[in-house]
Amino acid sequence: MAGRDVSEYATVHARVRAMYSKMLAPETWTELCEAADFAALLSLMKGTVYAPYLAEVEDEKLTPRRAVYQVKKLLADAFTIIARLVPRSSRPLVTQFYRRYEVDNLKALIRGVETGASWERVRYVLFPLGSFTVLPAESMMEAEDVGAAVEQLRGTPYCDTLAHAMERYTAEHSLFPLEVVLDLAYWRELWRDVNQLPNSDRTPGRHVVGSLLDASNLMWAIRYRVSHHLSEEEIINYTLPSGYQVHDEDVRAIAAGADIAQVMARVYPSLGDVSPLLKEPQRGLPRLEAQLLRHVAQECRAAFVGYPFHVGIPMAYLLLAELEIQDLTVLVEAKASHMSDERFRPFLLVGCTLD
Amino acid sequence: MFYPEPMTQIEIVVPEQHVLAATNVVAESGMFHQVDASYLSSETGLGTTEDWSKKSTAAAALERRLLAVMKTLGIKEGSPPADLASMTDVEAVQPMAERLEQQVEGVIEDLADEQKKLEKLQNYVRQLEPIADVGIQVGALRNPRYVFSVLGIIPVEHVQRLRTSLEHIPAVLLPLRQDSRRAVVVLSGTQQHADILERAARSAYLSPLNLPDDYQGTPREVIAALRTDIEHMQTQIADQKGVIAELRESRGEQLQTLLWRARASRMLADALARYGRLRYMYVIVGWVPTRGLDALTSRLRHISGEILIEAIPSTRGRADTNVPVALRNPGILHAFQRLVTIYGRPRYEEVDPTLFLALTFPLLFGAMFGDVGHGLVLALLGELLVSRKVSRLRGLADLGVVVTICGVVSIGFGFLYGSVFGMEDLLPALWIRPMENIMLILSLAIGAGVVLLTLGFLTGILNAWLARDWGRLLFGHTGIAGLLLYWSLIGLAAGLLIPGLPVPHLVPVLLAAVSGLAVMFSDLLTRLVEGRRPLIEGGLATYAVQVVFELFEALISLLSNSLSYVRVGAFAVAHAGLSAVIFILAAMVSPARGVVYWVVVALGNLFVIGFEGMIVGIQTLRLEYYEFFSKFFTGGGARYVPLATLPKIGE
Repeated sequence: MAGRDVSEYATVHARVRAMYSKMLAPETWTELCEAADFAALLSLMKGTVYAPYLAEVEDEKLTPRRAVYQVKKLLADAFTIIARLVPRSSRPLVTQFYRRYEVDNLKALIRGVETGASWERVRYVLFPLGSFTVLPAESMMEAEDVGAAVEQLRGTPYCDTLAHAMERYTAEHSLFPLEVVLDLAYWRELWRDVNQLPNSDRTPGRHVVGSLLDASNLMWAIRYRVSHHLSEEEIINYTLPSGYQVHDEDVRAIAAGADIAQVMARVYPSLGDVSPLLKEPQRGLPRLEAQLLRHVAQECRAAFVGYPFHVGIPMAYLLLAELEIQDLTVLVEAKASHMSDERFRPFLLVGCTLD
Repeated sequence: MFYPEPMTQIEIVVPEQHVLAATNVVAESGMFHQVDASYLSSETGLGTTEDWSKKSTAAAALERRLLAVMKTLGIKEGSPPADLASMTDVEAVQPMAERLEQQVEGVIEDLADEQKKLEKLQNYVRQLEPIADVGIQVGALRNPRYVFSVLGIIPVEHVQRLRTSLEHIPAVLLPLRQDSRRAVVVLSGTQQHADILERAARSAYLSPLNLPDDYQGTPREVIAALRTDIEHMQTQIADQKGVIAELRESRGEQLQTLLWRARASRMLADALARYGRLRYMYVIVGWVPTRGLDALTSRLRHISGEILIEAIPSTRGRADTNVPVALRNPGILHAFQRLVTIYGRPRYEEVDPTLFLALTFPLLFGAMFGDVGHGLVLALLGELLVSRKVSRLRGLADLGVVVTICGVVSIGFGFLYGSVFGMEDLLPALWIRPMENIMLILSLAIGAGVVLLTLGFLTGILNAWLARDWGRLLFGHTGIAGLLLYWSLIGLAAGLLIPGLPVPHLVPVLLAAVSGLAVMFSDLLTRLVEGRRPLIEGGLATYAVQVVFELFEALISLLSNSLSYVRVGAFAVAHAGLSAVIFILAAMVSPARGVVYWVVVALGNLFVIGFEGMIVGIQTLRLEYYEFFSKFFTGGGARYVPLATLPKIGE
């Protein structure tokens, strides 16, 4: 089996290591965080691996939104390369992992249609999926209403998923049921793909993907209870029963009204006491989410240690690259709106964090 | 071969009446890489870029509509017709397309209506079947008075979760029927918990069923009535499908031609939208390989003498990320070129390392995997891949070239090491036996690494020179200062290890100090040379820490890069060692050297070829990518994409 793993993962491993070595170094992050303003940040970013993507657009057109859009192209390229190089058995997982951005794009499009936004306004908010996507994005934005936009998804995997939720959308005029059903369907499918991996890939796959699933699932449960005040039954129905470190009983405990800080301490002993963050949910929950994602980043880095010929390494790289871009997005927005260090640093995940 | 193909930027000024013909010529040449020149449009109000964009959008819309009609009728796209030289007037074609569309749409809409009705009736049957035996009137199920009850459809994957959520509530969730996607369920409980049950059902996306109003009686009676109506509807649908088949026969060819015309027009308009517009002229800007310039120019002049062409050959004198990079290597090097582009595409002013890779990769591989027999098997395997005889391995044909060459070089090293299928006593070693000369082969491996790294440094220096990047050239850790530091450290080490070396210690010490300082302060010195201010950013203390780490990192990297090459010697030794183990194992299993002995030897050899061959391949790639390329390769060159107005068949 080891021989097979080596032969299947040799190229992708070499390529991922090369890409991993090009991720932003701590000293680069220090420089980026200390940039005086958005222009200075851009000029520093042009000295990094993101330079070719930023160079595609003339300087005067590089608005914060456009800069973030360009930067995301690195991740899109990484996905394309990795999806091509990974063995056939793990390709469905990589592809499904990539679909997360498509799901996000779909949610953004539906929100755009609901609020009557123009295509120009929405297009650079979307993840640059290129030819990978099955979403007829531009024509969806031309649709009269959400129903007509969803109608255009016929023949895509999202049509069936949204069909049931559309009845609720029509009755409640809220995008909440649509977004929740998309998330649930997406993660269920992803987790199924992880569990269908060959034996040697399953454990590292569960480790990396499961860490992210855990963070999402927990945050859903906490938000539904603390911010949306949903009932126990609703919280259970809007969350997933599976995960890596987070088990169904943890989610159900939160849904049933248990002390969230205690549940968190049980699941993530290294995280420390999170109760201060829960006292002020509006400010505290985003910080809690950032802490969880930092934990995910640690898990991803850990995947690079030890036996290297498995799907965990490409998946961990993709996730780290995503978190790096998430940090760059925070930085771009912070610098563009002249935010102080203290306001944005708590939300950095792999860059120069305060925690 | 040493550089990306020389490119020439051309600006073609074309009178309006010749623009389509000129576009066809540049597209058909297959070598014109278009650059967006719409910013050159001198006057607003001419509406050209927008016009072409609109035409492109219109053509794309027509293409989509035609594709939708063809899909509905089950007509394939087919191949593009031969006469697609000019742009189709979408507006002129539109009425014909609309007629076809209406004709098809009418039938399709009727069919869709019928199918929807049929689906609805079948849905009712499916909903009622699980309760067919219940002897009540269907109307009574609609509004139960004393219990809360929902009969509905729920996505299958939500059933278990809904059940979990109701664990503490006195309620019954009964699945009546289920396929792979949906389940028909009844959820019942007391009216006291109606609110909780209703919220739980809603959050599990349980959609209550609408029972048919037009049908009366027990479920069994209603199902019978529904089935009669379904049969009637199926007959009507079969008639509609007959009409569609007729349309497919009569309109197929016409739709295919229209589709390709719309597609060609869209791609042509896309190209035209990126032209600059003067009052009566268009400006086409792009790049062509210099070798193809004359042919393209003469074809354009053939259209009209009024076409003005300005060619600006690009120089490699400055870093220009806009010049598209076309790598042009002989066929045998294509596989190695792919290995290079997996790492990154060279920039236009950079050396193309394909040839270096093609020379050094097999040598490093062969040195690590030197065995006449194993090399022969690899070479044969490579040849098999190249021949594309095994359909499942056709995608690996390029890799086959690399495997063959590596196999041949391994044979060569096999003779030098005197090893054939792991047997060290069959052939005389023309050079040395690695197992018997471990220190020598390890030292030679480091020596080879020093040579390769020096070559990398020199290439890096050449690249910096070509890019006019004086800072990197003089002070960079891969520039002259880096190379001096490297060799002065080697000199120092040689002085310490080899007594009596006729080089005074002071020379390498001084050189190392000077070059080390240059590497440390490379950023500051670069700013000084380039006249950029401030010289130091971020405060003196931060800078001091930074430069110390800069030097530390450079030293560590030089040391680790050189020592990495030890693995070349180590694998040569390991190869011989592993082979010896196979013979020991075989002798243990069959001391009399019978059939079993040779079976073990054969299996062991297969293991060595497969497993060790793979690892040696990875290590070679690692040495090339991390140790060698990192000394000179920047990458990030723009891809050369020739303009085409039609997709190539098969793409």
